[in-house]
Amino acid sequence: MLYRVIDSNELPALVDAFMNDYEVIAPVKSGQSYAFEAVTDFNDICLNYTTTITPPKKYLLPPHEVLFRFNAEENEVVDYMLEVTPRVLFGLHACDINALNSLDCVFRDKQFPDPYYEARRDATMIIGLSCTPTDACFCNLMDADEARTGYDLFLQDIGDRYLVSIGSVEAANILESACNPREATDEDRIAFRHMTRTRQASFNPAIPDIQEVPMLMDAFHSDPFWEELGGRCLACTACSSVCPTCYCFDIQDVLDHDGVSGQRERVWDACTSPQFAEVTGGHNFRADGRNRVRHRMYHKLNGFLAKYDRMLCVGCGRCVYACKAHISPIEVFKFFEQKGM
Amino acid sequence: MASVQKIEGLTVTPFEDKGPAQSGAELMHANPYRPWPARITSITDLTATEKLFEFRLVDERIREAFHHQPGQFVELSLFGVGEAPISISSSPSKSGFIELCVRKAGEFTSRLHEMQCGDIVGIRGPFGRPFPFEEMRGHDILLVAGGLGIAPLRSLINNIHDERSDFGNVTIIYGSRNPSEVMFRDQFEMWRHRKDFDLYLTVDHPDDTWDGEVGLVTKPFEKLEIDADHTFGAICGPPVMYRFVVEEMRKKGISYDRIYMSFERHMKCGMGKCGHCQIGHQYCCIDGPVFNYWEAKNIQGSM
Amino acid sequence: MKTSMNTTAAPKKKLAVFGLASCFGCQLQITNMEPHLLEVLDQVELSYWQLTSSQPKPNDYDIAVIEGAVTTQEAQELVKEIRQTASVVIAIGACAVTGGIPGLAAPRFDERVEEVYSSTCPQACGSLQAPVPVSAVVPVDFEVRCCPIDPRDFVSVLERVLQGSNRSISTATLCGECKRNERGCFWGRGIMCLGLVTRSGCSARCPSLGRPCNGCAGLSKDANTASAKVIATEWGIDPARFEEALEMFNQQSMEDNCG
Repeated sequence: MLYRVIDSNELPALVDAFMNDYEVIAPVKSGQSYAFEAVTDFNDICLNYTTTITPPKKYLLPPHEVLFRFNAEENEVVDYMLEVTPRVLFGLHACDINALNSLDCVFRDKQFPDPYYEARRDATMIIGLSCTPTDACFCNLMDADEARTGYDLFLQDIGDRYLVSIGSVEAANILESACNPREATDEDRIAFRHMTRTRQASFNPAIPDIQEVPMLMDAFHSDPFWEELGGRCLACTACSSVCPTCYCFDIQDVLDHDGVSGQRERVWDACTSPQFAEVTGGHNFRADGRNRVRHRMYHKLNGFLAKYDRMLCVGCGRCVYACKAHISPIEVFKFFEQKGM
Repeated sequence: MASVQKIEGLTVTPFEDKGPAQSGAELMHANPYRPWPARITSITDLTATEKLFEFRLVDERIREAFHHQPGQFVELSLFGVGEAPISISSSPSKSGFIELCVRKAGEFTSRLHEMQCGDIVGIRGPFGRPFPFEEMRGHDILLVAGGLGIAPLRSLINNIHDERSDFGNVTIIYGSRNPSEVMFRDQFEMWRHRKDFDLYLTVDHPDDTWDGEVGLVTKPFEKLEIDADHTFGAICGPPVMYRFVVEEMRKKGISYDRIYMSFERHMKCGMGKCGHCQIGHQYCCIDGPVFNYWEAKNIQGSM
Repeated sequence: MKTSMNTTAAPKKKLAVFGLASCFGCQLQITNMEPHLLEVLDQVELSYWQLTSSQPKPNDYDIAVIEGAVTTQEAQELVKEIRQTASVVIAIGACAVTGGIPGLAAPRFDERVEEVYSSTCPQACGSLQAPVPVSAVVPVDFEVRCCPIDPRDFVSVLERVLQGSNRSISTATLCGECKRNERGCFWGRGIMCLGLVTRSGCSARCPSLGRPCNGCAGLSKDANTASAKVIATEWGIDPARFEEALEMFNQQSMEDNCG
């Protein structure tokens, strides 16, 4: 990976350069929290944001999207073109970049690459930004505190300047045209070391670091704990709305007002929704909170790993805030911790 | 700031607009969500609630690229109503045609049951991991179906029948709730009569005309003599059935990894993405729907 | 090539819209489709619409839309008659689906009648009885929830009746939809919000406009009211107050869901 250093005061010029050709999405203040939104002014960007309410996945996998349009009388598709907006997702933390890498595993697989996701992904540049953990962050425990791939630029804040990792030619060209990137000095490298050490020391020590989580997910699969945890579930699906790695969806047909033309849509769905595992005829393979919450956690902390060799939780902490019933992977880790006392 | 120009992401066009010469495989790969027009070429009433539909893909390129194996399924579209995963009931040897056995169970299947020969539907697929037909070749086969579970197994049964000389003893146990729900009976009886298969038809509630077995699908196991080391089992039926049938097959000594079963889940995308068909860490749509018992034992929540 | 499922030659289904105890706001909402209304109505034969017609109700229709709660014996008989005539019954709006605002009067109903009318209830009121949702009298095939309904939901249900659909109807509660709007949570600010237990489907419009959910879509059958009361307590709100707030739209369904 190629590294350069730019001064903090060069950042506005970089963002402006992106704005010439891309819609720039960045963290902005939203009520008491933050949200990723399109920005047209560098000053609207909150560089020191903690976590946004929802993750940036909506730009690659929108909550509602049209797969194609059809005529219901002919039972055939009609012409449809998906238009995508070239975008820069600016200021993503490492957890969110790792989450998008997990979505890539699913939607850019070799057997069935998803053309809708790919069209958006190909038109998207990702600019990462270093962060300071909140009390709910546990990316360090999920091997997601560092983004090794999946970005065009990653900006490490090292005081009044940024150590910039450069991941793509397109981004390198824009960086060079907008800023004066220079070679890193020993002083920069030492500042980087200090920064990462400070960050590492800032994680909440109350969140237990559990070894062999996937194995434990299997071993304690029948434990009464799941009844207790799942028994609290409100079946609201807030967890998956805010989860950067939840990608489950439903496919639905929606007719226009004439009842003839219409479109097939892909809409977000969630395994904590009561009907998610229901089959025709009414049998529900996960009919209660216990089964649904356990399945969700199992997929995050074991199932996805079995398939793609990475956890499907990146420890961003969003569900910790979103779930009013306090259901999150942290509760699972605490349970494992207490089992080992 | 000038507004950002949108760019073309992808297009979906009716099949008549052939555009650049592409093979059926390329077309299907380019957008696996796009169903292809298929015409209903035959409809057979099987029971009061089940019909066998025969389809033919309209676009020759797609038809030639469509190759299925026993145990696989398609996503069937009625535009405006939606899409549903349905297992293929025909043998791959019946090339150019796809047979689906459909029970009228909801709004989608009710609409399908109202359709006529010549009508057009949408089909995409085939999807899923099939029965290991090549591995099964040269062995004895024990098939156990319950209710509508006969639909995917019929593809395997027909395929075995097509290449009958490549297989040893073939036994079919097929259970239904009552005699009026037994499907494909004439065909099976004919094959039994020709000594192609050993056939055990069993029902829970017999009527006066019933001359087959009475009781659960596990009952005929009492009479079976099996060369366990040379037998493959294949099971499909309602969720409650699997545990008991597997137990019987294990008692007969069939190895974990030669007992195959097809699971029912709601596969909405068919491509290991939408999540609806997840069982533990596996996706029923790409890792299954056919799993062997060893795999199933290793999937949390499979049985 | 036409398919039989949508044969245009088939006669259009006859639609009748009835109003029971309600503000008629949901019927009015249908007219808010404005230009699209004619397109939608073109799919059916409108045989009766109480809001827009003074003609007597017909004896023949296929699809019955009922707004309002059942509050009299006469209404109860009417609803039974509608059910016998129509092949499909759609309940629209909170009053018809959960009992809604009229449902508030259900407990101690007789005393309330006396409070309002003293000893003699005017004949025009009919034979009053404790208000109930339509589904308490006859089976209902489809529901359009909320107070008032979103006309787009009505069209979607009507099209489902006409064309069929295998879309699953989710009973998830509201917070998931609310989070998608990227608004903070009312509970975090000490404000009670009924989204915790209320059926989703409305896109959490009220919270996104700065108003907590008042539960007009009704309790979800999968609502975890016990868990919600624990949450209320954690945020300093008396669970009794939470239950009381739920009564506004769920007087008639509390027993099923709250146990």
